[in-house]
Formats: sequence, structure tokens, C-alpha cells
Amino acid sequence: MNFSEQLFEKIKEYASPKEISWVVSRSNGSMQSLQIAFVSTPRFISKTPILSTSVINDISINGWSLDRLVRVYILTTLDSSEKDIYTKTLNSLFETAENNEAVALISALPFFAYPKYWLLRATDAVRSNIGLVFDAIAFQNPYPMQNFSELAWNQLVLKCIFNDKPIHHIQGLNERANQALAISISNLAHERWAAGRTIPAQAWRLVSKFINEAIFEDICTLFISQNSNDNIAAALVCKETDFLALKGELKKHTELDKQILTWNTLEV
Amino acid sequence: MCQKHAEISQNPSHFEGTAEELATSKSVQANYMDYIKDMKFFDPHIHMTSRTTDDYTALIDAGVVAIIEPAFWLGQPRTGLASFKDYFSSLVGWERFRSSQFGIKHYCTIGLNSREANNEALAEQVMEILPLFLYKEGVVGVGEIGFDDQTAAEEKYYRLQLELSKEAGLPVQVHTPHRDKKKGTELSMSIAIEHGIEPSMVIIDHNNEETVESVLDKGFWAAFTIYPFTKMGNERMVEIVKKYGSERIMINSAADWGISDPLAVPKTAALMKIKGIADADIKLVTYQNAINAFAQSGQINMADFETPVVIDQSLKFNGNTVLRGGQIPRVDKNSLIIS
Repeated sequence: MNFSEQLFEKIKEYASPKEISWVVSRSNGSMQSLQIAFVSTPRFISKTPILSTSVINDISINGWSLDRLVRVYILTTLDSSEKDIYTKTLNSLFETAENNEAVALISALPFFAYPKYWLLRATDAVRSNIGLVFDAIAFQNPYPMQNFSELAWNQLVLKCIFNDKPIHHIQGLNERANQALAISISNLAHERWAAGRTIPAQAWRLVSKFINEAIFEDICTLFISQNSNDNIAAALVCKETDFLALKGELKKHTELDKQILTWNTLEV
Repeated sequence: MCQKHAEISQNPSHFEGTAEELATSKSVQANYMDYIKDMKFFDPHIHMTSRTTDDYTALIDAGVVAIIEPAFWLGQPRTGLASFKDYFSSLVGWERFRSSQFGIKHYCTIGLNSREANNEALAEQVMEILPLFLYKEGVVGVGEIGFDDQTAAEEKYYRLQLELSKEAGLPVQVHTPHRDKKKGTELSMSIAIEHGIEPSMVIIDHNNEETVESVLDKGFWAAFTIYPFTKMGNERMVEIVKKYGSERIMINSAADWGISDPLAVPKTAALMKIKGIADADIKLVTYQNAINAFAQSGQINMADFETPVVIDQSLKFNGNTVLRGGQIPRVDKNSLIIS
């Protein structure tokens, strides 16, 4: 089964017979009628929540609403053989999108033909100040991991940290950790600390392989933080890193050294 | 609601209450909110794009739980299709999101306004993109459309958009002109009837003492805009409700970039309460009638704003940027310290 068929099978599990027949009746239309079908989906399809562990095209659809699933399905049925027509149709949907439509479009990016063509749409979603639109690119979405440059990737992760969003839902988080990102996290922490504010403790999971003198100092600061999550993060970094001086630091905190710790406890 | 003395003498206020009532209304200026403590309001015409977050806070504090933002002109003519497109998408995008951050449910109506209908070359292009917007979630009508100068071009696009509303099964929100209002209102209604549109699907906006009777007699909804100087004052509004009752009458603020008052609906409710209008009637004209009229779109689910307001957990959980980094939406305006 191709992805489109897999999506349709999943729709059938959750939709009523009336809803299914609406989806079928909209399926082989012209580009324009598919556009209208995409836009008007909530008039015919409920927002029943999808509770499913299924993964389609590396995408977890758990927690989606049925209308979002149907919209993504409709997008996968667009004929992509003529690039100009295909991209024009999708671009006009992007440019006129209501918030829930934008979420569906961004969630559907990994299904689109010509993956690199959509890069600006994806980075624009990262720039979005609308929480749900940003989340649609950041979480449960393999598009950034597969297509983002290091700069774009780091921007995505930093914005998550900046807004206290759950970075552990980003696909490819550990695989794409890098030196520049580690330095940016350190700098962000310095700014926050100077203002009497904090950063989420689990952000430090991204620095373990990229310790330098400055980050070494940061970890020492975390050890003396009043927040126990910071202490745990510091110990975890020490356990993961090859930076020898930090191994010595950990020894000074025997309680933490002895404990079995995982980043999971900091995933909020 | 301040009025210039010169204007009052030229256009006498329709305030006909007793001296005692006048004294009461003046003495409660400072605490009018006490009269509407447990009331909820629906403002079916307010241009939040032109307003600040302070206004959103004031609205929710005064009990306004849901609003409709009609598409209108921006104070100056747009020069291209892209600016129309961006404006329409902001009504279903950023503005809808911004409103949700204050716990206010935001709907909109979409249409080509009368003034810009006069740029026919551009109007043609706008007509082409309207269907993409009219079928969207939370779009509760075609609006605001109708007449301004009452030109042939305005009539042409009014008629074309009436047809669109029929096709989409959407109510129509009709703007009536400032000048020659009575004639423009009659014309708007007769054209709607000519197109086979049920009067119950049409909300005639910006009524006054001169237009209301005909609008109600013909079976249309009569909306009143409480707007200082140029439209209705709320003392006059109270008299209208006393005279015509509460059936098919609704009030709105039409607050925009001009000198206007986003709290016009709750303030008028308080004034009605003070002047002895029954709670049930107040509820109809400041809440329920507007909902009934626009819910004919199938796009209003009252549970979205009737259930005690919980700001969407997913939005709250994931933070956002009107309220950066988990900041709470309350700012003490009197505090010197900004933290």
C-alpha cells in the first residue's frame, strides 16, 4: 500500500459511513474541486480524535483530529506529474490557509512530491508565531530532520527551547545535535541567567558531545543550581561526555553520580 | 459616550428618559460593570485587526466571549490582489489565534466591501478568490457587503456576492451607507429579495431610527452599531429596544481604526439594565439574536464559548508569542515595574 492508501485505511477506522462516502466522492476531482474539498473538510468531517500508534511515512498520527487526517489524505491524492500545476495548487492553499488548514498542510509536507521545493514553507512555519502551526513542523514531523540545513535546524530547536516547548518530540533531535547549536544553547542560558530566568533543563542533552570551556563552566553552574532538574541535567551531561574535566566534576557530587538517571525524567 | 455640543443641537439626541434616569446614568458611570456582572456578550461586528491587546483584555473582562470580524476596507484602498488575500488570511489566521489567547472565540465574515467594489479591475480578481475563503471553518457569512456611494459597480458586486452566499449557504452581513442611508437600505433589501434570498439570512447593519421599522417589517435582522458621533448612541438604542422590543434586533460596536468603543455592547447592556429593560431582552439583543442569525452558517458551536473558558491546553502548553515564554496574559496597567 502506498502512503495515500494507508491514510485512507486509517480514515475508514474512524469515520462514519456518511463521512467516508464524502471523502470518496471528493477523491477524483479537478485540482480546483480538491482545493475546495480541502478547505471545506470540517463542514463534512468531524474532529474525532485519532488515538493510534500507527506510523505512516515516519509520521505518528496520534492525537490528530479526523478532519486533519482527511485533509492530509486529500493532499496526497493531488496529481504531481506536472510540477507547475501541482505546486501552484498547493501554494494557493498555503497562501490562503486558515490556522487548521495550515496545520494540515505542514503535517503533509513529508508526503509532498519535490521535497526540497517546500523548504521555504517549512521554515516559514518555524517562523510562525501561531503555536499550532509551529508545532506542526516541530513535532511528529520528519521533514525538518530530512531537509533542513544546520542553520534552519538550529533555529527550530532554539525556538522550541526559547518557548518552553517539548524538544523531545522533535524527530531526529539527537542525530542532528551539533556544535553550533550547543554554543547557542549556552549563550541563551547566559542571557536568561543574567535576567534571573532559566532554560528548560533537558536542553542540555544537546551539548554532551560538544563541551568547550564555556559549556564546562555552564555545567558547573548547573550543579550548584537550586533547581534539582538542573542538577540532574548536569550529571547526565557528565555521564555522556568524553570531556575529562567533567568526569572529575561528577565525582564531587556522589549522590548524583550513584543514581541511575535518564533524560526522560526531564521531558516536560 | 461623549457628544459634541454643536452636534447635539443640530441632531437632537433621541434620549427621552426622565431627568431622574439621566441623573442615574451619570452617577453609575464609574461602576457600570456592576450591572452586567453575570452577563455574556457576543459582538457580531468588530474589527479587532485595528485594536490592541488591551482591548482584548477589556472585552473578556466585560463578558464578551465571542466576536465576528467582518472583512472591510483598511481606511485606504488596496492596490493589488495580494493585499486582499493577506488580509482575508489574517482574519482566519493570525487574528483568530490572537483572539484565542484571550479566551475569545473569533469568527469572521468574508467579502468585497462596497468602497473597493468601485475598482472594478481589482474587484474581478477578488471575486475569484472569495470561494476559497467562504468555505473555511469559522467563516459565518458573506460580509460586510452592500452600498456606500450607491454606484453601479457597487450594485454589481453586491449582486454577485449575494449569489455566492446562496451557493455556500451563508448569511449575508449588509453594510448600509452613511449618506442617503434610507434609500441605500431599501435598495439593499429589495435586491436581496430579488435574488431569492430569505430575509432571515440577511443581517442589515448600521440601522437607525429611520430604517429600523422597514427592516423589521420585511423580516430581516436589524443590527445597530453603537459608535460615537457618526452612528448610534446607546441612549437612543435603549429607546429603540423600548419601542420595537428585542426580536431580530442586535447591537454591535463596529470598533475599528476610528474613534470607536470596543465595549459598546456591554456598556449598552448596562444602560438597558439601568433603564429597566428585562434581562431576557438584553440577552437577546446583546447575545442570542446575533448567534441565531449567524449560526445559520453551521459554523458556530456555542459550546466553544459557553463552557467555562479554558484557554486551549495545547496552545497554552506549547507557549506562543503574544504571550511569550509562558507569560500570563495579565498585565497590571498601573504597575510601574515591567517584568
